[in-house]
Order: sequence, then structure tokens, then C-alpha cells
Amino acid sequence: MGTETKRAVTSTQINLGALRNPLLIGGGAAGVLGLCCGALLSMGQGEDWYQKFSASYLVSFCFFMSISLGGLFWVTAMHLTRAGWGICVRRLCEILAMMALPMLVLFLPILIPVVLGWNSSVYSWVNIENITHARDLVEHKAGYLNSGFFTVRSILYFVIWGLLARFYLKNSVNQDSSRDPNTTLKLQSFSAPGMLLFALTVVFASFDWEMSLDPLWFSTMFPVYFFAGGVLGSLCVLTITSVSLQKSGRLTEDITTEHYHDLGKLTFGFVFFWAYIAFSQYLLIWYANIPEETSWFLYRQEGDWQMASIVLIAGHLIVPFFAIMPRTLRRNKTYMAFASIFILVMCWFDHFWLVMPQFRQEFGVIPADVLCLVGLGGLFVASFAWIAGDKSLIPEGDPRLYESLSYHNV
Amino acid sequence: MATTVDQLVDNTVEDPSKRAPLVMGGLDNTGITDVVAGVAEREKPPRAWYIAFGIANLLLVMLGANILHLIFTGVGVWGNKAPQFWGWPIVNFVFWVGIGHAGTLISAILFLFRQNWRTSINRTAEAMTIFAVVCAGLFPGIHIGRVWVFYWLFPIPTEHLAMWPNFRSPLLWDVFAVSTYATVSLLFWYMGMVPDIATFRDRSTNNIKRFIYGLLSLGWTGSARAWHRYEMAYVILAALATPLVLSVHTIVSFDFAVSQLPGWHTTIFPPYFVAGAIFSGFAMVVTLMVPARELFGLKDLITIRHLENMNKIIVATGTMVGFAYGIEFFIAWYGANPYEQFAFINRAFGPFAWAYWTMVSCNVIAPQFFWFKKIRTSPWLMVVVCIFVNIGMWFERFVITITSLSRDFLPSSWDYFDPTPVDVMMLIGSFGLFFTLFLLFCRFLPMVAMAEVKSVMPQDEGDAEHEAK
Repeated sequence: MGTETKRAVTSTQINLGALRNPLLIGGGAAGVLGLCCGALLSMGQGEDWYQKFSASYLVSFCFFMSISLGGLFWVTAMHLTRAGWGICVRRLCEILAMMALPMLVLFLPILIPVVLGWNSSVYSWVNIENITHARDLVEHKAGYLNSGFFTVRSILYFVIWGLLARFYLKNSVNQDSSRDPNTTLKLQSFSAPGMLLFALTVVFASFDWEMSLDPLWFSTMFPVYFFAGGVLGSLCVLTITSVSLQKSGRLTEDITTEHYHDLGKLTFGFVFFWAYIAFSQYLLIWYANIPEETSWFLYRQEGDWQMASIVLIAGHLIVPFFAIMPRTLRRNKTYMAFASIFILVMCWFDHFWLVMPQFRQEFGVIPADVLCLVGLGGLFVASFAWIAGDKSLIPEGDPRLYESLSYHNV
Repeated sequence: MATTVDQLVDNTVEDPSKRAPLVMGGLDNTGITDVVAGVAEREKPPRAWYIAFGIANLLLVMLGANILHLIFTGVGVWGNKAPQFWGWPIVNFVFWVGIGHAGTLISAILFLFRQNWRTSINRTAEAMTIFAVVCAGLFPGIHIGRVWVFYWLFPIPTEHLAMWPNFRSPLLWDVFAVSTYATVSLLFWYMGMVPDIATFRDRSTNNIKRFIYGLLSLGWTGSARAWHRYEMAYVILAALATPLVLSVHTIVSFDFAVSQLPGWHTTIFPPYFVAGAIFSGFAMVVTLMVPARELFGLKDLITIRHLENMNKIIVATGTMVGFAYGIEFFIAWYGANPYEQFAFINRAFGPFAWAYWTMVSCNVIAPQFFWFKKIRTSPWLMVVVCIFVNIGMWFERFVITITSLSRDFLPSSWDYFDPTPVDVMMLIGSFGLFFTLFLLFCRFLPMVAMAEVKSVMPQDEGDAEHEAK
């Protein structure tokens, strides 16, 4: 077609360049400092301090993990649908997906107590003999909920995510220089089985990591709920990252108002999708009123945790729904960046609301929760810089890049 | 009649550097109008149309006769009895509502996702949506016993009836959901058709046609202002219709899932029903589109690429449905509830195992053939797969409804379900109603959204080649 020789991207700087080391060092320092302080603060809290700390840790871990998975979802979905709109931000998604590898290391503080069968593990089913209430039901599930199988499954998830992400990122980076359209075809045909693997692993990861915290409770909708939150979070991260990169003088010409508008529309859509899933799950359990299912919600809607549920409904649905509904606002990238930060905080709070009532009677965000968020957030940023390296932050060689650059919302 | 735009033979070959053409055969704007308007303008439709219309009418008469028999005799003519008070009528209702999901998905959600290929197929699919909703509405309508007071379904204050419908019942929510869906789909379909009806009006050769098409086209002039308003209305209707695509089958799933019955009460139902509805809807669209494009010479507009894309959606949604079956089974075991476990073992190995395995084979295994490009691009092979999908989706509703009810908590009331001939004739007859409406649509209304197809012709599209300059 004769355009291969031309350079589509017009921004002067399209990689992290000089930003890389500050992000690596700053993020790493914040990470180590945050997690250490969080752990130290927790140590003063009696014998089961490690369980308390790892509960705080798990909230932030699941939050960042779901964002990384959201990135993997977008890469796979874009290839699967031969999407053109999002090529400009696809490299960011590829990097997010690649975070699965550092996340494996960050999963160790949760995994090791399970492997070693510590009583301080966040998962009560690790030592069934400690369970007093309805132990026979947990024993029934022991074939699935046991340390060995859990470990094997968890590692398998990371291996699958890591391999998928590596395949996408490596081929896409190679295409930057080769400009070979066949790479796109290869990635497209790979994305269909990729999506199957993604779906299978996310389903069971969400069961394992968050639903099994209450080994008695179950909901077939839970994986979809986890997925909806992660996809929403990843969209917010894409907006925030793009705006920050542009503020620092990177990709200035190549991510346009149109792309922010598209991201904004999808964010709006997924705010609503999350609410749809959350509402359906709640309504069906509330309506049927079967005690073994309602206990989980009852604890969250009565007493101290009631306020948390109200905050979640207001902050995760009502405020963002109205805040990003107007088209003019969705086309304002600074506004969308702030809105995304707000939604992201609510996505974290969603995981807090899922996990914490298992461990605390009273609702309240304590310093350790925030320190874990800061710590894992720092490491997340550092991993981003580490993976991004000198790579171009936009898939320069993608044959559909022109289409993405030139699109205009009518 | 047409100038040459491109002469690609196979538009299913993917070249990432440019978008594949969606209109083949070298048709230009005039050519598209000629092809689409030609269907309604020809003196007589093809012979196959008459044969199909004749058969559809016979089935429709059979449906009418059975409805009369039911009204004059009572709902006892159906196989509905203890413990399956919900028999085929609700199975048929859910089946037909499901079929009606592809149209609005194509016209609303695919529109918002900027899927240009939807333009050739959206009109026919939307028409199918409306006809399917008509068939769906029929079954609960005649199930209520005293058909002549059907309006009691709606919350209308009446003096002689000192009561309201039960607002806590999802069956009432169904009334709202389905009637809203029918209304918006009809508006969407009709509004989208106005410019094309105006084209029919302008081309019509006799006064009767000109009068009727003129009336229907609402004085459309094709001015820039009219187009501006039209496009704004289209976006708004698309945005409104998008949650409706999800809400209708979500509420239908609530009919089952709010209960405490094992096999019905599971939280995955709403998205799983929606995926299943889109699955069956697309299967029906492909089943009818393949013969229709053949019969009316629309192959250059509804190309193999369009069919292939729909088949991909079928395999995607079919796999989602398969996943949902799997998760249900897993959680039935994981939940450790013996009644739930029994319900699922009973489904797979009980007296209705034949229905369960029919469902699994048709819904989960059959669409997997679409992984092969050969099958998803061969028109008649894909019809075979899609017919299996339709059979499977009917059986899915049968399995959910009947197996859960036939063996409930009280073993002394367990019973096998047998349909009566009236059940069978009504199901077959409902296809007569559907096909009659569809064939009339094909004959008299624009089957392809001409104006929209023209907007995605290469010269108007901001595709890679043009932008690269």
C-alpha cells in the first residue's frame, strides 16, 4: 500500500526515556516503604497481626491484579474484533497485561501462608480444624479448597496470563520495527483461544482469591462482578496514564481528544455494566432470601458495614454515572483524568468491601490499608517503568495505526 | 447499472492494512438502490416466495385454530399439569424473546461500537426482532385463561376489579420489559426505515404504492436538516435501546432466578440469558439471511463477510453459554446444597437427560464448528449449524423449566412431562406467524438499509489508505 515507509506517529517523544529511572526508583521506594510501614504498623496488633496485614494487602493486590487483567482483556478484545480505535493506547494495555509477572512475586505474601498452612493465612479453609461453624460444608469443598490445589491453580493462572501477555507484547514490539502486517494476522487468530483461556482463568481466580474468603458463600455471578470492576479500573488507568504521559511531553500528538472520548464512553459503559452485574447479583439473593446466601450481604448491609455499602453505591455508580455522562466533559482530558482517579479509588474500595468484612467488625479504612495501597501502587508504577523500558509507548508498526490516529467522533 | 468500485472476489480475506469492502459486485450508490428497491418493485416475487408464503400461511391457520380451541376449551388443552404448571408456553415465550435479541443488538450496540458491517443486515434483523416479539407475546397472552381481560396485566385502575397486579412479581416486570422493548424496537426499526421508504415512494410507478409509501415516509425530503435530526435521533435511540437489549432477557431470567427452586435460583442467570438470547437471535438471522440473500439477489450487499462476522458472534456467545453451564455445575457442587446438586445430576442423568444432552450438543458443541473458516464461510453449512443452535436454545429453556419443576422438593409429586398435540401444533404454528410476517416484510419493505450502506462505501470512509494520503 505504499505507506510503510512513512512514519505515522508525529509526537517527538514516544517512549519513557528519562522518566524511566525516576519512576523505577520512586515507585520502588514508595513500594518498599509503604509495605514495610504497613507491616510494622500491623505488628503491634497482637498474635494474628500477619492475617490482619495480609487482609489489607489482599485488597490492594486484587485491585491491581484486576487492572492488569483488564489490560489483558483489552489487548485480546482489540485483536479479536480487529479494532482500530484503540491502537493508540494498545501498547499501554499490553504493558498492563505484562504486569502479571511482577504480580506473581507480589502474590507470594498471600500464597506462602497457604502453602505452609499457617493459621494466619487470610483463607480460613487452609486449616479446616480451626473452623467451628458449619465445618462439614467446608470439608465437602476440601477437594477444591485445599492448599496444594490452590497453589497449583494460582501459579497456573499467572503462567497463562504471563504467557499470553508476553506473546502479545513481544510480537507487537517486533512489529514496531518490522512493520509486518502478518504479525497482526497472527495476533488476531491467537486472540480467540486467548480469550477462552482468559475467561477460564479469571473465573477461577476470582473464586479462589476473593470468594473463598468466606468458604460458605457462593455466587455464580461473582467472576463477572470481578471482571467488570477490573475492566473499569483498567480504562481509568489508561486515561490517567495517557494524560500523565502527555503532560510530561510524551505522545503529545498521537492520543487525541477522540481517544479520550472513546475511553470515556467505555468507562461510562462499564460503570453501568458493573452496576448491572452488582444489582442483579444482589437482587436475586435478596429476593430468594435463602440464609446461606444472604448472610454475606446481610453482614455488609447492616450494622457498621452499612455505610460502606452506601459509599459503594454512591461512589461506584451514582456519582460517576452523572459525572461522565455529558459529552463535553468526556472530551475534556483533564476532567476525565480526575474522574478516573475518583472511579479508581472506588474500584479499590469495591475490593475493600468484598474482602474486609470477613476480618473486621467495624467499617473504617486504617493506615495499614492505605500503606498497602501506596506500597503496591508504587511497585505497580515501578513495574510499569521496568516493562516499558525503552519500548515505544504506541504500536508504531500496526497497520491500523493510521485509522486510529485519524478517527473523529461525529 | 453500476460502475466498478472494486472487483475483489473474496472479501473474507483479511488484509490488516485496509478494511475489507462491505459492498461487492462493483455496486455504486445507484446500484445499491436498484438492487434493494428491485426486490419490492419486481412484478412478481420468485416462485420460492409463494411456496414459503403458502406453507407459512397454513401453519398460521393451524396456530389460529389452536388458539380458538384453547380459548373455548381452557388451558387444560396443554400439557401443563402438576408439578409442571409452566410447560411449553413459557418455553416458547422465552425462546421467541431470545430470538428477538439480535436485531436491537445489531442496530444499537454494534452501532455504538462503530461496526460498519451491521448496515447490510440491521434492517432485516430488526424486522425479525419485532416479529419474534410478536410470537413471544402471544404465549403468555393466551396462557392467562380469560384472554378477554388481558389488560388486567397492566396496572390500570378499574372499578370492578379492586386490585392491582402484583408488583413484586417478575412476571409483571416482564410485561413492562417486553412491551418497552417492543415499542422501542418498533420505533427504531420504523425511524431507520423512513429515508428508504421515501426512496421507494419516489421510485414507485403506481399511485396506490406512491400513496402508501408516501404516508409511511412521513414527508421525508432528504434535506440536510432532516438528515441532521435523523442522525441525532438515531444516536439517542441507540443509547436508549442498548440497556434494553440487556434488560429484557435479564428480567426474563428473573422469572426463574428469583425463586428458590434448585436449578432456577443462580445469580449468573441475567448475563447468561442475555448471551443465550444473542446467540439464538444471530442463529435465526443467519438461518433466514442465507436463503433470503440468495432468493432476492442481495449477495453483493449481504456478503460472506457479513455472515462470517455473525458466525463469529455465534461461536463467542455460544461459548459464553457453555461456560455458564459449566459454572452452574461447579457451583452446584461447591455450594454444598444437596437439593441443588440433585437438580443438576437429575438434569444430566435423570428422565430428561435426552433433552439436556440435546441442549449441550446443539448449543455448546455445534457452534464450535465455526472455528473452521471453511464452515463459517459456506452459506449452507452455516445454516445447518444455526438450525442446530436454534433447536438447542429451545431445549435450553425446556431443560431449565421442565426438569427443575418435574422433580421438586416433594418426591410424591414428581412426574414426567408430556406435551399434548396442541402444544406441538402451537409451537410449529408460531413459526407460521413469524414466517408470514417476515415474508411480507421481504416483499414490501426495504430489506437492506440503503442509506446506511451507502454511508460505509469506501469513498466515504476515513480508512487507512485515504488518511495516509
